[in-house]
Amino acid sequence: MISQFFVLSQRGDNIVFRDYRGDVQKGSAEIFFRKVKFWKEDGEEEAPPVFNVDGVNYFHVKVVGLLFVATTRTNVSPSLVLELLQRIARVVKDYLGVLNEDSIRKNFVLVYELLDEVVDFGYVQTTSTELLKSFIFNEPIVVDVARLQALGPAGLFMQGTKRMPGTAVTKSVVANEPAGRKREEIFVDIIEKISVTFSSSGYILTSEIDGTIQMKSYLSGNPEIRLALNDDLSIGRGGRSIYDYSGSSGSGAVILDDCNFHESVHLDSFDVDRTLSLVPPDGEFPVMNYRITQEFKPPFRINALIEQAGPLKAEVIVKIRAEYASSITANTILVQMPLPPYTTRVSFELEPGAVGQVTDFKESNKRLEWGLKKAMFLLNGLMSCILNSIVGGSEHTLRAKLTFSQESHGNITKEAGPVSMNFTIPMYNASRLQVKYLQIAKKSKNFNPYRWVRYVTQTNSYVARI
Amino acid sequence: MPFSTFSLSVAPSNRPPTESCEEREREMSGHDSKYFSTTKKGEIPELKEELNSQYKDKRKDAVKKVIAAMTVGKDVSSLFTDVVNCMQTENLELKKLVYLYLINYAKSQPDLAILAVNTFVKDSQDPNPLIRALAVRTMGCIRVDKITEYLCDPLQRCLKDDDPYVRKTAAICVAKLYDINAELVEDRGFLEALKDLISDNNPMVVANAVAALAEIQENSSRPIFEITSHTLSKLLTALNECTEWGQVFILDALSKYKAADAREAENIVERVTPRLQHANCAVVLSAVKMILQQMELITSTDVVRNLCKKMAPPLVTLLSAEPEIQYVALRNINLIVQRRPTILAHEIKVFFCKYNDPIYVKMEKLEIMIKLASDRNIDQVLLEFKEYATEVDVDFVRKAVRAIGRCAIKLERAAERCISVLLELIKIKVNYVVQEAIIVIKDIFRRYPNTYESIIATLCESLDTLDEPEAKASMIWIIGEYAERIDNADELLESFLESFPEEPAQVQLQLLTATVKLFLKKPTEGPQQMIQVVLNNATVETDNPDLRDRAYIYWRLLSTDPEAAKDVVLAEKPVISDDSNQLDPSLLDELLSNIATLSSVYHKPPEAFVTRVKTTQKTEEDDYPDGVEPGYSESPSHAVDSAASPPATSSSAPHAAARQPVPATPAPVPDLLGDLIGLDNDNNGNGAIVPVDILHEGPPLPVVLPASTGQGLQISAQLVRRDGQIFYSLLFENNSQIPLDGFMIQFNKNTFGVAAAGPLQVPQLLPGTSASTLLPMVLFQNIAPGPPNTLLQVAVKNNQQPVWYFNDKLSLVVFFSEDGRMERSAFLETWKSLPDSNEVSKDFPGIVVNSVEATLDQLAVSNMFFIAKRKHANQDVLYLSAKIPRGIPFLIELTAVVGIPGLKCAIKSPSPEMAPLFFEALENLLKS
Repeated sequence: MISQFFVLSQRGDNIVFRDYRGDVQKGSAEIFFRKVKFWKEDGEEEAPPVFNVDGVNYFHVKVVGLLFVATTRTNVSPSLVLELLQRIARVVKDYLGVLNEDSIRKNFVLVYELLDEVVDFGYVQTTSTELLKSFIFNEPIVVDVARLQALGPAGLFMQGTKRMPGTAVTKSVVANEPAGRKREEIFVDIIEKISVTFSSSGYILTSEIDGTIQMKSYLSGNPEIRLALNDDLSIGRGGRSIYDYSGSSGSGAVILDDCNFHESVHLDSFDVDRTLSLVPPDGEFPVMNYRITQEFKPPFRINALIEQAGPLKAEVIVKIRAEYASSITANTILVQMPLPPYTTRVSFELEPGAVGQVTDFKESNKRLEWGLKKAMFLLNGLMSCILNSIVGGSEHTLRAKLTFSQESHGNITKEAGPVSMNFTIPMYNASRLQVKYLQIAKKSKNFNPYRWVRYVTQTNSYVARI
Repeated sequence: MPFSTFSLSVAPSNRPPTESCEEREREMSGHDSKYFSTTKKGEIPELKEELNSQYKDKRKDAVKKVIAAMTVGKDVSSLFTDVVNCMQTENLELKKLVYLYLINYAKSQPDLAILAVNTFVKDSQDPNPLIRALAVRTMGCIRVDKITEYLCDPLQRCLKDDDPYVRKTAAICVAKLYDINAELVEDRGFLEALKDLISDNNPMVVANAVAALAEIQENSSRPIFEITSHTLSKLLTALNECTEWGQVFILDALSKYKAADAREAENIVERVTPRLQHANCAVVLSAVKMILQQMELITSTDVVRNLCKKMAPPLVTLLSAEPEIQYVALRNINLIVQRRPTILAHEIKVFFCKYNDPIYVKMEKLEIMIKLASDRNIDQVLLEFKEYATEVDVDFVRKAVRAIGRCAIKLERAAERCISVLLELIKIKVNYVVQEAIIVIKDIFRRYPNTYESIIATLCESLDTLDEPEAKASMIWIIGEYAERIDNADELLESFLESFPEEPAQVQLQLLTATVKLFLKKPTEGPQQMIQVVLNNATVETDNPDLRDRAYIYWRLLSTDPEAAKDVVLAEKPVISDDSNQLDPSLLDELLSNIATLSSVYHKPPEAFVTRVKTTQKTEEDDYPDGVEPGYSESPSHAVDSAASPPATSSSAPHAAARQPVPATPAPVPDLLGDLIGLDNDNNGNGAIVPVDILHEGPPLPVVLPASTGQGLQISAQLVRRDGQIFYSLLFENNSQIPLDGFMIQFNKNTFGVAAAGPLQVPQLLPGTSASTLLPMVLFQNIAPGPPNTLLQVAVKNNQQPVWYFNDKLSLVVFFSEDGRMERSAFLETWKSLPDSNEVSKDFPGIVVNSVEATLDQLAVSNMFFIAKRKHANQDVLYLSAKIPRGIPFLIELTAVVGIPGLKCAIKSPSPEMAPLFFEALENLLKS
């Protein structure tokens, strides 16, 4: 069980502080913040999420720049506490629509009311927004959405050309719309985070997809929903090891290594026809998480090269090719590459006719940056390059000439790189996992809610070694 | 009883106060935060008026304002009566606010709090179940006797309420009450009621009942909540319907269950396995713990293999969660693969670091990669390490380089490949990479002697770039060890000699040894001169005793018998193995049984960090005018008196020890007393604060700080063992002219990591008085590296004098645990299983055994347990066993002739390096 829960701002201000058991001193928030701020033990810069100071155990997670913290003196389950902290953040966001320092301060009575129902004497009672609704009486005061950036995974959809209805993301699940009736709608987001490592010769060393089917329902009356996934979906790699990719590619089947489901999901017919049925509780929640190591076609190929061009000079060539259909556009593309520490100057050469590309050399951390319109390319000494978007099938090249202050020790490839890439591709998913249909049990003829099924692929770690 | 069970705050931000008020008013008006706005004068009277308004809404707004004031730390306790008047309302929102206020202020207004009791009792019978539940939940949080008394009846009703929400709230309330007054809970039969709730038809009620019972059991020495096979099956059934959190409560409670046989274990596992598919990481980890535990009993290898296969994917999936969860998962996986390496043998790729992983995740992944590295995957692993070694984060790079070395030591067949990677890295000439590489190459040389010396030349090229002590020392060791193969070894060493006096001790020691080796291998003129310089520096010029002693030994060896010196110094060294991160098997066992708890994250047994403080901190400034538990009401005034005024007699009889009644700390709790009078033996290591020793008897304590040094303050102290717990017994005598107070104590790093479990409790010492105390100690807090020794450095301070430092001795005797007795067969087996190199023996010519029985009794008192005896000629040979924390056993053989001086002691232990400490302890015991 936990003793205290508190939320700190980035500056260390107490935004919320709730003591459940009184066996940890009141100054704990200060002790915690000082420890986290000056975590230098073993030279590690970042404090681990769990640590002990003078017999008090501190847990923390960072959510939208806020620190959610719990303390205890007992030998509790750390994953339970960390998971709880994440859930509290989610519940508060469900209620307030927007989670930030301002919204919490404006709704402190509501937040304390929530905290009293979520945890009693340090024991978690429930973190289901749906269940909580019957015990919570304060109305949220919704902060002005327009001024705020969208937060959380759903915020992804705010970017780019295919803009989704903006209100969905920051709408409280309990507050009534000012206009009166609330809009009947449901969002199903298939969010995939991909990790790929290319060897220097362009082979894929590792590749992995962490996927989530996220749901946020604003449907009244909690109708039952059926979600159908790919018929050929299979689970478990069987006896095959991770090293063995043979037979999986090209067959078209989507093979999940492992997956898990939200507790509201019924899997009665999942084995037969790959449909999930559930009554979605209010609030945002993951219907299903899955993990894939089956080989997939990476959306980008990266070719990077660094070559000595004289005693104090070198040339970098970075080429990226979009391997997806031309109807799809990736955005906020950022490519970064650390350069040798003795790099003093970088001059860039873009392809003729390149529009809207930005290049930069960050002297401070020796990075090169390169940005394209709609795609961003960043090589950092780091070189960096910002490409705002890349249309499927296209190819972009950056050449950079480096000047050094000293001679290289010999193997220049060991002192530069790797090239890492960040991007977001809406309406694209690497795994080919699909929601075939989303069926909502009808209440009446006129009941025709909005359904939004959205796909997005994001990078977790997308790296090419040189 | 201090109780800040509830406190909350909305702290003002860091903006300047004047500006912030206005600003906030502007930007927040129209929201809750408007309640923060203040009128400059007469705020309280104004609020008072509003609280008594005839309009409901106005009253509600007023209460919100009061709460807002409370959260920013303003004292609004004077409004107590007015707020309580608002309590009688059907409006739940308002009622909750009033309750919030009550929890916060009831303790400071206990007499007024009684006003609320009627409403509470009434609310607990309200037709609305939310109000009934709210009433008991809140009453449980108000730790005021008068309220507690009235809690029992409503609680009894609520435990049998028709509404599950009320029952589940009542279940937790029993745990609250137990924390306030355990006796009351037992007397009123709440435990039975709670046990009945295990069979409740609502899973949430079941989960809370389990949680409450588990907590009560944790704090009680009596068996209260024992899992029988009957409860087991009931709970396993409830598991499927529980909320995710309830599942964790139940799984954790069940993990203590020991299955009767393999079949039962298989049954349990079968019912728990579906939990591995849960989206909540806590459920998955608790299920893994349960399965691992039952697996120990399962004999069928097929079943075990199958289970391993089932556990792998969910464990790997944990690494797709947030980095915080990943960290916890990785720390647990680290333990699991030490016991069952096969589970994740094929999954090494998932532990490859991503460039954007937080550093704490990367470090843990590296550890696991080393553990999973095998001949089959080493090429892949090396490729990764090489890549990491060129990254930006210095600590990570160092760890990666070290990892390559550890793989070389672990995998003989891959050693050569590892070394070539290290050499490649050295060539990049990044300073810290080179230094780290040299440190690990030294270890590789010690693992594979006479195999890879050809690379020494490459290493020597980097000699002048070394600036870290450990790297320097390693390089110097290499030069000394292979002096005969390095043509210019003398020149290389000489280059260090100039700066000898400025070098850190570590480097000086290596320089000394390396020079001696060089001299023994090449006894020519150059080295001869060098050795004189070094010996002179290391004996006359230094004030480091280690260095001086080592130098004198070499000096004497060299001057008396150079050949013998050669045999000693150039002797073949034992080959090392990669055990740098291997846990002791018994510790690993304990940690594995604590999977999915904090213990498995810290890799420390729970008793090393859990300090149960049942009372609220005495660090809080709250005053507790009436905060005394029922049952203690006779003692507090006495306690306060005697703490303040010195008993005149104590100076004449220091060891009568200024008899302090128990509660020098605010508010003791029942089992604290239990500890004091030795009833609660199970509770060892929990570090309940025992303020003052009222039972101190026995020989006077050795003086560690004489009055002459301590400006009149004399401290006598000794580590003692009582009822399975280690205490530091201290006696303070104030012979100075001034009162001394504010005593604090601190312990330096030491071999056993002995440290105080709580603050030192010494009252103000007036001139001429004394006080003694028993300070509970914990182990393994701050472990000093290096070979074991008995040094315990202590610092004591008070408000009037400078900090006093003194040295005390750790006697191994106090560490011998009560469970050190070994069965005869186990003894024999252990003796056989330990290699002969683990046997150490010593003669004690001065010790006489006059009676075998008496000696055995004497040893038994110190937890050295007799196992067997045999006669060998006229000698008696005795076998005994003892055990020190972390389960390290000592197998002891004593040989003596009764009545004749001379005792031979041989011991065998997995930790032979403890032998000197053992012998010292034994000698002290038998001499006295």
